[in-house]
Amino acid sequence: MNKNRLAGRALLRLTLAVLLAALFAGIALASPDARSLLKESENRHRTRTQQYAGDLTVVNKDGKVRKKGWKSFREGYAGDARNLIRFTDPPEVKGVGFLSIARPGLQNPDQWLYLPSMKRERRIAAQDRDASFVGTDFNYEDMEEFDHEKYKVALQGEQTVEGHPCHVITAIPLEKGGKSVYEKIILYLRKDILYLLREDLYRKGEREPGKRLVLSDIQNVDGHWVARKWEMCDLKKGSKTTVLLKEIAFDRPQAANRFTLQNLNREGGD
Amino acid sequence: MTRFPVRLIILFLLLPFPAMAQGISGYAEGKGFVYGERSNSRDPSAVGWGTLFTKWEEKAGEAQLTASVRAEWITSDEQGSFSLDPADRRIRRSPISVRDLWVRFPVSPSVDLQAGRFQLGWGKTDGYSPADAFLPRDLSDPFADEKIPLWAIRLSGQDGAIRYEAVACPVTTSWRLPVLGSRNAPLSVEEVPAGTVFREVEDPPPVIGFAAMRVLATVNEWDLGAWGRVGVRPAPLLDFRFDRAVSTPSGLTIPVERRYAHEEGAGVELSRIIGSWIVRGEAAAFFSRDRDLGDALIGALSAEKGFGDGTLLITLAGNAIDPPVDESLLFDRAILPAFIAAWNRTEEWGEWKVVWTAGLRHGDGLLKGEVGYNITDVWKITVGSELPYGYEKGPLGALHTAQRLHAALRLSW
Repeated sequence: MNKNRLAGRALLRLTLAVLLAALFAGIALASPDARSLLKESENRHRTRTQQYAGDLTVVNKDGKVRKKGWKSFREGYAGDARNLIRFTDPPEVKGVGFLSIARPGLQNPDQWLYLPSMKRERRIAAQDRDASFVGTDFNYEDMEEFDHEKYKVALQGEQTVEGHPCHVITAIPLEKGGKSVYEKIILYLRKDILYLLREDLYRKGEREPGKRLVLSDIQNVDGHWVARKWEMCDLKKGSKTTVLLKEIAFDRPQAANRFTLQNLNREGGD
Repeated sequence: MTRFPVRLIILFLLLPFPAMAQGISGYAEGKGFVYGERSNSRDPSAVGWGTLFTKWEEKAGEAQLTASVRAEWITSDEQGSFSLDPADRRIRRSPISVRDLWVRFPVSPSVDLQAGRFQLGWGKTDGYSPADAFLPRDLSDPFADEKIPLWAIRLSGQDGAIRYEAVACPVTTSWRLPVLGSRNAPLSVEEVPAGTVFREVEDPPPVIGFAAMRVLATVNEWDLGAWGRVGVRPAPLLDFRFDRAVSTPSGLTIPVERRYAHEEGAGVELSRIIGSWIVRGEAAAFFSRDRDLGDALIGALSAEKGFGDGTLLITLAGNAIDPPVDESLLFDRAILPAFIAAWNRTEEWGEWKVVWTAGLRHGDGLLKGEVGYNITDVWKITVGSELPYGYEKGPLGALHTAQRLHAALRLSW
């Protein structure tokens, strides 16, 4: 009798274990993983080119306001992006140019800054990518397109951001993905359109995010979702840079040699 | 210069105030220098320097047009008289001068032609670059490191990782020297009694300038380059005409003439990212048959590292061949061998920089420091100091009476 009872209990436990395993496996199979979400996001939002004019407002911790303006041109997307930015305002930085060209594999992109006063470009070393990008709260790494292939990613759960349910994904730079300024990035991906709404950026040794990028005013332009407002907050310094995107256009043909060092060095060019 | 063109230029300079038209930029700046010493009774204790600069940039189809004009008012003898000096060939600065007047257009999708008056920037080594050093500079302010634009034609292009550039400069624009015998150019000529006045003879530089070519390649972390040039060297050689010295009641007056040597030069440059440093190196050979210039083998090595928003740049430069004359008289080679350390940093409120140049031959040097504060996006105030020190016969130590403080207020548009 006791033996039968014990056998019955063991069978019940086994059945429960199998049922639970099947249940969890089912949940796991039904839920997307972080990588596939990011791949799907990249597929949905990939464009051949993008260009816009940016109005920048930099507010420091004392509330002092600085205005800047740039024109941005991009060809390719994420891991194969080439990007040219040319400052248009204020007079002090007018004509300053920035060129970023993705390198094959997972290496850091090549980056150069053109300073009109020097009449030549300067190369940006990978280790210098934490420097402020021309007096803004963006650094040189922030100016790169996010490429999830360079990160180990994991889905952390869900959270509502600005009224939109979001996937919360942790991205940790891979060793082979080139040097990164950040130790960890938490991405908030809007669930319905898989569009990035927020990034919490952790520099090395930081327990709380040192910087936060918030993307808002999302509109559909030329059939593509785009955030017309970017806010990069340096939570440690207490400063904030806001970029308002104007004259946005996608998939327009770009000049053949726009993303070259020759063009970067063209005074008055874009 | 006739009155009509002067009025036109003044009108051009004043254009931005009412118009603020797109494509027009510029600045107005007032700067003051205060000196602790005087090298002679003619040196003022304070100098004022007012500048009005306007630049106009326009695109016409695929062509880029740029013009800029500078008007200046300097209280010292560095200011020349009103004159039509479109190539900066006069020995003193004209109160009004054209800084840019050029057009650039593509002759093919990857090849540009630029013609007119513009400034060149060659060389990879920021502290001292032999590729850059020959380009004409204005030493009216000996600490300003101001390049003079050239009248030239430039063909530039890119084919994959290779960039190339050819420049023909049909008119010589020479280095502009400070008033000889002043605190900015205290000539120490052997056996010349104190109080001697140097009378600078306005010898026009040769008409024909120079031609140069340059090829650059970027391969992964490497940047490689090679260049060559032939023609007139823009830095003058000074001839002290003791045979024509005149004795006056106030002392001896010695005419000083200028002449210009022909020189051929070739160089290589390379740059590489090594860890967190960018290391650059240049080597150049210069050949001249001139007895006072001679040949030169100049090398420069620099290392640059970023620290957040700051950059440290260290440069070591030297000439392997001793010049036949006092190196101070060769201008671009005067400070060699030299060690240069520069530290600059951008702050939320502006920026600052400190530069130390040490002459390794005489132990003299120059300490420079400057702080710029952005009052608003268009108003900026700058204060700083230049402190040459050391052996008084060294090229930098000789400037010890030019130790100064400066302050400037700039409005940009």
